[in-house]
Amino acid sequence: MLLRKRGMVSSILAVALLVAILASTNSIVNYIDLQVQTLGGLVNLSRTYLVLGGNATSITDSQVDARLARKLSNLSCVGYMLPQKMLTVNLTSGSSNLMVQMRGVESDAFFKARKAYMNGTAAKNWMEANVGEILARRFSIGLGDEVSLSFGGRQAKVRVVGVFVSQTQSDAELVVPMETANVLDGNNNTVSFIEFSLKDGVSVQEAVNRIVQTLPENVKLVQAQQMGEFAQQMSIQTLVFLNVWSLAVYAAIAAASYVVAARLIIESSYELAMLKALGAKKLTPFTLVFTYTTTVAFIGSILGTALGTVGAQTASTILRWIQPDVDMVPFLKAEQALQTLLLTLASSILGCMHPALKSTRTGHMGQPL
Amino acid sequence: MSALTRLIGFRYLKRGRILALAIILTLSSTLFSITAFSLLGFYRGFTAYLGEGEDVIAIYNRKGSTPFTGLVPAYLAEKVGSINGVIACSPEAVAPCIVKGESIFLRGIIPEDFAKLNQLAIFDGSMLEPDDVNSVVVGRNAAERLNLKPGDEILVLGVLADRYLQLQVKGIYESHSVMDDEVLAPLYVGQWLRGTDYGHVTLIRVKIDRSVVSPAAILEEVAREASEPSQSQDSGRKPEGLIMSWPRASFRVEDIGVEEAQMFMKSYLDRYGVTRESLLTLSAIVFLFSSATVAAASKTIIAQHEGEINVLRSLGASRKLLKGDMLARLLPWSLIASSIGAALAVAVLKVIQGYGLLQVVSHTVSIQLDPLTIALNFVLVFLLVSISVLRADME
Repeated sequence: MLLRKRGMVSSILAVALLVAILASTNSIVNYIDLQVQTLGGLVNLSRTYLVLGGNATSITDSQVDARLARKLSNLSCVGYMLPQKMLTVNLTSGSSNLMVQMRGVESDAFFKARKAYMNGTAAKNWMEANVGEILARRFSIGLGDEVSLSFGGRQAKVRVVGVFVSQTQSDAELVVPMETANVLDGNNNTVSFIEFSLKDGVSVQEAVNRIVQTLPENVKLVQAQQMGEFAQQMSIQTLVFLNVWSLAVYAAIAAASYVVAARLIIESSYELAMLKALGAKKLTPFTLVFTYTTTVAFIGSILGTALGTVGAQTASTILRWIQPDVDMVPFLKAEQALQTLLLTLASSILGCMHPALKSTRTGHMGQPL
Repeated sequence: MSALTRLIGFRYLKRGRILALAIILTLSSTLFSITAFSLLGFYRGFTAYLGEGEDVIAIYNRKGSTPFTGLVPAYLAEKVGSINGVIACSPEAVAPCIVKGESIFLRGIIPEDFAKLNQLAIFDGSMLEPDDVNSVVVGRNAAERLNLKPGDEILVLGVLADRYLQLQVKGIYESHSVMDDEVLAPLYVGQWLRGTDYGHVTLIRVKIDRSVVSPAAILEEVAREASEPSQSQDSGRKPEGLIMSWPRASFRVEDIGVEEAQMFMKSYLDRYGVTRESLLTLSAIVFLFSSATVAAASKTIIAQHEGEINVLRSLGASRKLLKGDMLARLLPWSLIASSIGAALAVAVLKVIQGYGLLQVVSHTVSIQLDPLTIALNFVLVFLLVSISVLRADME
């Protein structure tokens, strides 16, 4: 009976247009999200990983058991392996005294992995050191210079046997053999972190799973290049805003449902009064108004989802005709459509509740028949 | 007119019923304003990213798919810097990265050159010095988001390149611009993270005296450099405040763009059809999509007052008079509703911003009250209510 009301089409349209805003925005955001993920996938991701102390937020506060490196190097999927000790030491060169970052490594393997250009040779023993070119230029440290290092009360004197360029942070560091770093640190059992690479051709996921099984619980595995994480965060930022913005749309849907219910009650006052006069239960008007509004919301939601998605696709096609550079293909995921449908129904129920409850309190005596 | 005045004195519209329409108008206005303010805020922030005004120009790589991914020879900064009329020249290496699990942009700069283009106020710690190599200064918003303070050591993970860095926070700055969401570091640090050599940067920002030199003259100089590279001393000269020399790198002039910084950023958005006008239109479409609800609410009000309207009609009031009277009664409500809607939108956006949820590409979207948006809001509400009432059936 109530479904035949002439206002039903406009009521469905009111809800559908609001849902269409959500559907079109979601479909465009989905496309942008996909583009970000695709662009992220185009970057040739490195196979370099770091093993850091479980609670470490930086390299200098990280400590990892040195024996772990040997354990990892036994795995067939691991390529190069570089246990490293990072210390901030006091360096004295001539009259200059400065705090520098010092890296204890296995020199030959380290410079090979960094593809460094070396003026001189890699340090061979604990009395030799290599200096990155930025550090060397900044503090006028030259080949053959002797520099004093101190850390935590311990001291060492080393001779610079090579100045290198690697286009990495090591260009601003002092690189020494692990023995030197151990002498200054006074600890042979731990390193700051372990850098390793996966061999070409091995499955990354399988290799990582295997490595994680090998690692103790007090360490964490971090990939050096975080393209996936970055792309994901870009998407999350957009989605978070979109979700908050959606709340305003759902509030409008709730208000629309209030209007739909209020209008139905006015336009059906005769029918409702007649039902009450004929002895209908008190809850009947509520059920009728509630059913009508949720039906409107349900149909409106489906129509709006279709309208929004098709509208966004049509608009992007027109845009492509006008601007051939813009190649946008908006799409909506099934779970998003379902979520929109459920949230629209929930908002609609919320919106119609007040007029629906009010209709139960109105008696038939004062109503026109 | 006198009939309308007499009618206005007769209060037949119930305030409670008008309130429903007012709430719907408020929500529609809020929706429109949230959409418009946030989209325009993003647009303004993005286009002003490299600086505002005609005197700031950018030298960039035309082939870069984003403003952050192109590369230009760094030594051009030195060449351009020596042109008469160039006030400042700042080569910058911008790189996205991950710090403490959060995405952020790190900008490698030469501090003294950068300071001539952007005023930074250090409010905790100290500013970068020319001889700093492993230090960074962090923007206020970024510092709050990452919970950083001077002296903290951070592990920075690369995005575009296979790099990881250990850096120390030297200070926290405030610029009242999108830079507050970034990390500033010595130029080399940006180059490491970007995965480029010491001879290239993402872009060069130049401040010029327009009365002396134009962007076209700078492009001419760049073109001359591309066709006849100037002779370098050794492998390249070491500019003041820079440790490593900038080697001469060959390039094609058609790959290099020289444009007003704001226009350069606008051109990136234009590629995707994003303009200020298109964003405003989009916001207006959002409003119009909620217009069916407003129309329904207007009709409901008329239906709710059917009895009163019929009485007035039988007393001789014409349809035209009744519609005019209803408009006169509803328009003030509409204007109040749209004002509340706009204010509510600003409040909501400020709250969202306060929680750090209003971010695009890791930069906070700044909310600014745009007079055009507010005016458009009033006009749209006025038109919608007018059309709904004037088209209403008052038999």
